[in-house]
Amino acid sequence: MNHTAPTHTNQAHETHDDGRVHAHISTVKFLVGVFAALIFLTFVTVYVSYFDFGEANTFVAVLIATMKATLVALFFMHLRYDKAFHGVVFIMGFLFLGLFLLFAHIEIRTRGYVDEASSTTVLPRTGAPAPGGIEPSARVPRARATGGSTAAGSPAH
Amino acid sequence: MAQGTSDVALHHSGQGEQHEHPPFLAHHFDTPAQQFDAAKLGMWVFIVTEILMFGGLFVAYGIYRAQEPEIFHLAHRHLDKVLGAFNTVVLLFSSLTAALAVRAAQIGNRKQTSVMLVVTILCACAFLVVKYFEYSHKIHEGLLPGRLFTAHLHHSDLPQRAHMFFALYFMMTGLHGIHVVVGMSILAWVLWRNVKGDISAEYFTPVEIGALYWHLVDLVWIYLFPLLYLVG
Repeated sequence: MNHTAPTHTNQAHETHDDGRVHAHISTVKFLVGVFAALIFLTFVTVYVSYFDFGEANTFVAVLIATMKATLVALFFMHLRYDKAFHGVVFIMGFLFLGLFLLFAHIEIRTRGYVDEASSTTVLPRTGAPAPGGIEPSARVPRARATGGSTAAGSPAH
Repeated sequence: MAQGTSDVALHHSGQGEQHEHPPFLAHHFDTPAQQFDAAKLGMWVFIVTEILMFGGLFVAYGIYRAQEPEIFHLAHRHLDKVLGAFNTVVLLFSSLTAALAVRAAQIGNRKQTSVMLVVTILCACAFLVVKYFEYSHKIHEGLLPGRLFTAHLHHSDLPQRAHMFFALYFMMTGLHGIHVVVGMSILAWVLWRNVKGDISAEYFTPVEIGALYWHLVDLVWIYLFPLLYLVG
């Protein structure tokens, strides 16, 4: 069915709006090279996991993973040679994921919690009554609140 | 490059593709290039929805780890780094073979396309076999989500609250595992199309899109492996 036609190849290169698919073809050598880099980074990420960088552990792991993901996206998924818009769509996905993470963390970190001693909702840092918390008149009587907590704690004894 | 082989019908028509419609071109597209671009854009949008679906679990992971770092650290030691690393290498290799399958399809090498797709599917099987051993080990030790968590019966150092780590572990790797199975099915369908002779240097869209899905499966694992198995 298909047969090589060198003259047609030249023609196709001159006219880029001929309606045919013009996708980049990577060489085998190049793809194997990308794979070798990915394996190398995998060894690096396993190797550094035996060291403790404290808070930076996650950062280092995510950094190396992002380097690997970039290699896969650019060369295996052809984003490097693709329409720029496909890359924009892909990056937008991560931007929205970042927003999701950011807002979830802001919410968790600023969430009030129930202070059992005063049976009110307090802010995590200052301990001051949280806005939108339980009104003083609607508070659970202190005796009931402490009674409830000891009852909940009793099975442990 | 991509035009090493060519469709005779297409070339005789020159610019007038509307007269000579190649069999693979759907009637609502003007040109194969337009059809190819539409397929790719659709796939990239789909990939974004996949990122956001896994994103929910990654956000849950981040919050849980920030709240209970000690328990997370204790629990993550029960995952096997070696098996995780082995599976990472298997998936990276399968991504290479998927990319090579696309390349083979682009140059019109049908046999090589099939071989590369078969290797990719075999790697996916190997990944699932390793996952099976990891899961059965967890089940035997009672390292399971929620009420199923019975590690204390196995003289474990883990407190009851650690069930949350295993809930996240099983949800994240489980959803990824489902993607592996779906990816295998897609690649098997592409392989069947290739064996049938539907794939050529002019029309390799199914190989390209199938490979994109497979690379996505690889991408998710690239993040899952260090975050679950390595850092704690």
